[in-house]
Amino acid sequence: MPRAPNAHGVCAANATKLTMSSEELAFLSVAEQGRLIRDRKVSPVELVQTCLDRIERYDGVLRAYITVCAEQALASARQVEREIAGGDYKGPLHGIPYGVKDQLCTRGIRTTVGSKIMADYVPDFDAAVVTRMNAAGAILIGKENLHEFGKGGTNVFFHGQPRNPWNPARNAGSSSSGSGIAPAAGLCSGSLGEDTGGSVRGPASANGVVGLRPTFGRVSRYGGVMHGWTADTIGPITRTVEDNAVFLSAIAGHDARDHLTSKRAVPDYTGALSGDLKGVKLAVVHEMAWADGVHPEVRTAFERALLVLKELGAQISDLSLPWTKHAIPLNMLTSDADVASMFVPLLRTRWKDFDVGTRTRLATAALVPAAVYSRAMRARAVVRAQILAAFERCDALISPTHLSPPALIEDAREKVESRVDVAQRLILRRITTHPYGTANVPALALPMGFTQNGLPLSLQIAARPFAEQTVYRVGHAYERATSWHRQHPDLERSLQPLLRASATAEGYRRWN
Amino acid sequence: MELTCEQLAAMAATIGLNLPAADAENVRLRLSALLTEMEGIERELGAEMDRTEPVPPVYPHEPS
Repeated sequence: MPRAPNAHGVCAANATKLTMSSEELAFLSVAEQGRLIRDRKVSPVELVQTCLDRIERYDGVLRAYITVCAEQALASARQVEREIAGGDYKGPLHGIPYGVKDQLCTRGIRTTVGSKIMADYVPDFDAAVVTRMNAAGAILIGKENLHEFGKGGTNVFFHGQPRNPWNPARNAGSSSSGSGIAPAAGLCSGSLGEDTGGSVRGPASANGVVGLRPTFGRVSRYGGVMHGWTADTIGPITRTVEDNAVFLSAIAGHDARDHLTSKRAVPDYTGALSGDLKGVKLAVVHEMAWADGVHPEVRTAFERALLVLKELGAQISDLSLPWTKHAIPLNMLTSDADVASMFVPLLRTRWKDFDVGTRTRLATAALVPAAVYSRAMRARAVVRAQILAAFERCDALISPTHLSPPALIEDAREKVESRVDVAQRLILRRITTHPYGTANVPALALPMGFTQNGLPLSLQIAARPFAEQTVYRVGHAYERATSWHRQHPDLERSLQPLLRASATAEGYRRWN
Repeated sequence: MELTCEQLAAMAATIGLNLPAADAENVRLRLSALLTEMEGIERELGAEMDRTEPVPPVYPHEPS
């Protein structure tokens, strides 16, 4: 049986007692937590309970979760504890608590997709990635908040406003908002999000963690409530690059239930983490790094990142991809239209039950003429070809993940009252992430520093299709040479006085 | 491309959508902007688009 946490938080499950606070345990990497669990120095029950305690303390403000599976997670943790004690250790994810974007179906646990419309939907099956995480011994701790139906642009969140743990007045990124908040705030060890045009990388960037959009076809989409069938991907959000590689190793691979998954063998992603960049050719994408409007602190942080990468042995050149600027409207004219086509019946009958940002975006996409859709699909192929051609001259493309630090929540809302709003709020803010969704290549976002006000900044690395090992290698080398990933938000400081206010509000939302 | 309110309503009617007045202007602005963007894309990439088939970049047939 596990011991109860002592006055300092966590105590050891085995003979060797650890002197570690619950906060320190919560913010260890998955690799570190996994080793402690394997060696029975930490019980999975203690780790899960630590996350649940933090959710209870902080999530009334942060709103990372829509549903918390407290009792189920604790029961799983006790089962894992027995398995490991009996010598059945499954690997680095055994006993690790994780969350999933509430767009991925979970058997017996409601899957709301962030909406009022599906608020009571309880699937009788698991998404393929959930099945795989569970098979690896990971413990599902909850379903994470998101922009409604996974479409960035929600104005009013039916399940609560997600808040950035570094500064709760700031945006937490879209659309896998809760999946970025939760690992950043120590409310789980890692998450699974979904990325069409930047929905994993955006929250990773905003919350100061690591997010991967994998190559389309690398991870099964089975069981995801998502209809952007030419661009949707499911990817991990974690606190370190190594953790991200561990998560991807668990969820990648062919699945007969998703006929667009690749049959390529899944490589050893953690084996690529050499820390060495000698001979690696990196190219800075001019339009995504030095674009008009890049925030001066983003520019400075990126320039410093380039120096670090050079010191690590990378060869860095500049490169122009002028057609990438078209990726956002092209995705909205095509992928959005694919999604909207599935929602027209609901738009007809339940218009007011959608958030205004979602319903206007979907209605817009539903009205794209077929001839325009077809031409836009051709243009996507043209833009993609330009991006792929770049990989003939380099191993990876680099840029900031976003041109600005996380905006104030109010400023990030996609209110559309003029053509200027469309350009500023819908298109320009996505200029760095959508091109890689258009190209369907792997892209990694990872911490690149902080503004003077303590807001996270993020570096983006993209590579050719199925070259996840390359983005991990570059990201891991950079991460090791910096200390950004070791910095975590001081929630007692950043969330005051909202914590006191939330204590009288809804509080802890358990599903069980 | 600047759609009128009447044009938007007619387009919406073809798929059975009756856009409430409070949201119609929002949709009109969005769709007009996207169609304008597409006009620019046609000017810049049209010739290349004519030579390119609109095959989605998905990977169902990779070798095992």
